[in-house]
Amino acid sequence: MRNISEAIKRFDFDEKIEGRAQYAADLKDRQMLYVKTLRSEKARAKIMSIKYPPLSPGYFIVDYRDIPGENRLPLVFEDQPFLAVDRVNYIGEPILLVVGPVKKKILAIMQEIRVDYQELTPILNIAEARQRQEDFIFEGKSCFVEYEYEKGDITEVKKKAWRVVEDEFRTGYQEQAYLETQAIVAAVEDQRITVCGSIQCPYYIKEALRQALGWPEERIRVKQLPTGGGFGGKEEFPSLVAVHAALAALKAHKPVQLVYDRQEDISCSTKRHPAVIRLKSYLDDRQRITGREIEVMTDAGAYAGLSSVVLQRMIFSVGGVYNIENLKIRGQAYATNNVVSGAFRGFGGPQAFFAMEMHMENIARALHMEALALKRGYFLRKGDTSTTGGKLQSDIKLAEIVEKIDKISGYSRKRRDYDAADGGFRGIGCSVFFHGCGFTGSGEQEIIKPKVRLRKYRDNTVQICVSSSEIGQGCLTTLRKIVAQVLEIPVEQVQYDYPDSDICPDSGPTVASRTVMIVGKLLYDCARKVKARWQEGEFTVDQAYVYPGHLQWDNEHFRGNAYPEYSWGANVVEVAVDPLTYEVKVLGTWAVYDIGTPIDEKIVKGQIDGGMAQGLGYGCLEVLESHGGRLRQNNFTNYAIPTAVDFPATESGLIDNPYEYGPFGARGLGELSLVGAAPALAAAVQQAIGRRVRQIPLTPEYIMELMDDED
Amino acid sequence: MVNACRPLSLEEALVMRSREATTVFAGGSDLMVRYRQWSGVTPDFSGTVLFVGHLPELQRLDREKDTWKIGAACTITQILQAQGIPDHLKLPLLSMASPSIRNVATLGGNICNASPAGDTLPMLYALDARLTLQSRDNARTVAIADFITGPGKTILAADEILTEITIPPGDWPRVYYKKAGTRRANSISKVTFYAVARFDGDRIADIRMAFGAAAPTVVRNPAAEALLQNIDKNQVPAWLETLTTHYADALRPIDDLRSTGKYRQQTALRILAHFLRRELA
Amino acid sequence: MKIKLSFRLNGESITLATEPLKRLLDLLRDQLELTGTKEGCGEGECGACAVLIDDRLMNACLVPAAVLEGKNIITIEGYRTTAQFKILKSCFEKAGAVQCGFCTPGMLLAAEALLRQKPKPTAEEVRAGLAGNLCRCTGYNMIVEAVLLAAKEGEGLWSTPVGL
Repeated sequence: MRNISEAIKRFDFDEKIEGRAQYAADLKDRQMLYVKTLRSEKARAKIMSIKYPPLSPGYFIVDYRDIPGENRLPLVFEDQPFLAVDRVNYIGEPILLVVGPVKKKILAIMQEIRVDYQELTPILNIAEARQRQEDFIFEGKSCFVEYEYEKGDITEVKKKAWRVVEDEFRTGYQEQAYLETQAIVAAVEDQRITVCGSIQCPYYIKEALRQALGWPEERIRVKQLPTGGGFGGKEEFPSLVAVHAALAALKAHKPVQLVYDRQEDISCSTKRHPAVIRLKSYLDDRQRITGREIEVMTDAGAYAGLSSVVLQRMIFSVGGVYNIENLKIRGQAYATNNVVSGAFRGFGGPQAFFAMEMHMENIARALHMEALALKRGYFLRKGDTSTTGGKLQSDIKLAEIVEKIDKISGYSRKRRDYDAADGGFRGIGCSVFFHGCGFTGSGEQEIIKPKVRLRKYRDNTVQICVSSSEIGQGCLTTLRKIVAQVLEIPVEQVQYDYPDSDICPDSGPTVASRTVMIVGKLLYDCARKVKARWQEGEFTVDQAYVYPGHLQWDNEHFRGNAYPEYSWGANVVEVAVDPLTYEVKVLGTWAVYDIGTPIDEKIVKGQIDGGMAQGLGYGCLEVLESHGGRLRQNNFTNYAIPTAVDFPATESGLIDNPYEYGPFGARGLGELSLVGAAPALAAAVQQAIGRRVRQIPLTPEYIMELMDDED
Repeated sequence: MVNACRPLSLEEALVMRSREATTVFAGGSDLMVRYRQWSGVTPDFSGTVLFVGHLPELQRLDREKDTWKIGAACTITQILQAQGIPDHLKLPLLSMASPSIRNVATLGGNICNASPAGDTLPMLYALDARLTLQSRDNARTVAIADFITGPGKTILAADEILTEITIPPGDWPRVYYKKAGTRRANSISKVTFYAVARFDGDRIADIRMAFGAAAPTVVRNPAAEALLQNIDKNQVPAWLETLTTHYADALRPIDDLRSTGKYRQQTALRILAHFLRRELA
Repeated sequence: MKIKLSFRLNGESITLATEPLKRLLDLLRDQLELTGTKEGCGEGECGACAVLIDDRLMNACLVPAAVLEGKNIITIEGYRTTAQFKILKSCFEKAGAVQCGFCTPGMLLAAEALLRQKPKPTAEEVRAGLAGNLCRCTGYNMIVEAVLLAAKEGEGLWSTPVGL
């Protein structure tokens, strides 16, 4: 039998390289109408009136009154309307849609619509939200959610502490910048609506449509089309776009296409949460870290979105890969009149690990130790408990990971050399991190309840029916490989198309590094059942998720296993800072991961390289600032994502450590590869300039400030 | 209603230009973005668009003795690939935009855009480039420094077309160019510095220095350059303070969404100091 | 106002009537129904709409119809029939250079333009040649590897015309 890790040709390769793949904007239909969204120009205002121009036949305006069901996006909190009713809470909030056959005329209609606002005092950042005493955005309070949990006895630790090391870090917005903008096509036919497009989570959209239209499930069909990247940006946000398209199709009785322009997309889609993270570590008389207090604050924007879940992941990650017995961790997601923050690859992890890894750097400096040497002394091991007290039950090979990365990168030697060559504007940094795979806590069981289906046909082909979406990460290939390997049949005999809710059960969203580990394992188990009945001809087998007996989670007190399992990694980044312009030049990047068994080495490498570039972009290039509630950078000219010349190739390696409960031993990977880049980069820059780095992105302007401050 | 005119000769273009208000369209890499609308909707140019990119009269690219004459509609790629084009003309072009943009963007367009961050401008100022402006009945030649009057503003008259850029002769053994941008390629300049120098033994025979994106227009300071004339290049560091003062007053950078005025100012002066201390000596 | 326009597209002569300032990108995608050329930004920044015009790489979002008179345009739909494409395709597969696929058609044409200029490029030259084509998935390394491999496996091929 073939080694499952051995790379095969991707099943979506031919149609993509030949330019035949039909993305949502590529669908053409003579009947098709176009949709444009009229958005709020104000950060916070009451809508006093809207003046509509007379419309030519064939043109429509869709506003909140056209929503037959509930005007609330179904997410954790149902605070966000699909279309504004009488107030707006951020610049870019959708108010109404203009629909029609000729785009130029749609623009002319948009020009003639007059929205009369009465402006209210907006809350524009975390600091303002914290000061605000009244006139809140959300339910009479400044935060959407506020969490706190403890481990051990922090009060006792504080009493006995000999030394305290304190830090405060800030992180900025990041835009997913998938190459294909948000795009949905919708059509109504025979009392049913079909919505297709560039999406990560077909069933999130189905639920949003059910709520907005008030229709029974049977009348709603959601299909994914080839999708030009997601990175979390097509997790919850497309629900809004899909409902808009559906409302337009419903009103016009024609198929519609709703495709965002890049500027529109950057201006009003969800972003990575800006965060402020404060850490305090307590050391005893033997210079051992005995406890920490950590406080995390995020700018969640105008609506709750997924901010509660992102904040949870942030506070469950911010303890890092270290076994510290006594902890107090708090987190707040603040409501502001900024664009809504949401899902982005890493989902709270990148902010958390940037803060913790830099904090460890600073503790090491305070103790005159090398950072990695300090870190090694606290690495989590099998049998330890996580920050939430959950027992870590798999082998944790952090020592092996850092040994390997040290070897391939020459980290220790270079670190010493650069320290000795003070003022050389060169540095090297190492980050060590994890990513929890699958939904937080018992979410897989309580919220998602994933189900997969395999259909075996007489000709011995097998069809995979899952809602997992191919967004470039390769699941059309990896999930096929898993099923074929179990069934011991050629992978070509396994069918798997872009998900269609009419055919596929809800195997959960394509998020949380769960597709291979959770959905793949369900398919693995399902395939074993199919195999046992192989001779039966044509039949269908379903497999539902069962919360593993070795895990437990108390969601009220945040106690237990915060994640079903973790993937682990270390990154090293070497930099030179230009002494004239203070631009950061990345000289080398290295990555070593424990993702269990890689399901396809080429796809794995693609995830490693891509995550590194996106993480380095987050660390030093991608500036996105809100001024007065408006994002200043709103196109690819001003929001600079990495080009082919910005960063060198990544040298990477894997640790062999199969995961008992994963398919063929696999764990998650998609997000892990982004999480550690920025902290390694920041540590390298800190060494290069000999100044304390307190925020990312590390722009030349910020580095100049640091050089000026402490000169 | 948008009109478009694709003349067959420069003469025809100039007649057109003399008759009505036109937007001169050379490569279009800037105009197509400026007037773009929604995808699928034709860019919203007002008035008449006059295409000149194809005109052979604007495609000249040759050397007369040591003077370079570059047609205004030559693309950046054409200039980079021209036979014998010297390094001091190439350097800023190499790091400009991306290959696909360099294939359409023209030198004349970059000049007439008059962006403070225009990547070719510091070089053209430093080399005392002269511009030929032609109208139906007239032609005049102006220095680039007199042509650009502010961000997006030039003295180009409504009936004129910039036809040619003349780079006076000059042998420049020392060429230096530094660009700080938003990233390493395909980026808009935050601040740029271009300098050329010629020596007579150890003495500086001629030196030119220009800053881009550091003021409403390119900053060049002939008085400061004159101070260095005939100075032994090893003595230059002694003049650093005086020169820094000269330039610090002339630089007027702004805060914008790509950088800060403070960064631009300080970086420009740091590059200047580095050039005078390390690169020149 | 519409103008009559003649040019070669993927080896075929085309004559059509269109607005002079219509973007080539819209002409291709809407009028000629060639949707392999993608729109990623509409501002010439991302290269998803890159095509070859008289062998030079250009972003179709920045090119108005009026300048196309007499030009030879190659999009992915034509390019995929060529010998050069065959090599690049095989090398993109070997290197694992495709993920979401949205940048891929433009990236291939950028690779073609680059290899035509520099048949034996260094890694650095490949990166510089692809600098106007954004990819958010791969971090570029596997694309660079693919192009380097294509230079090797397709040696000699890039000095011959694409045959369109």
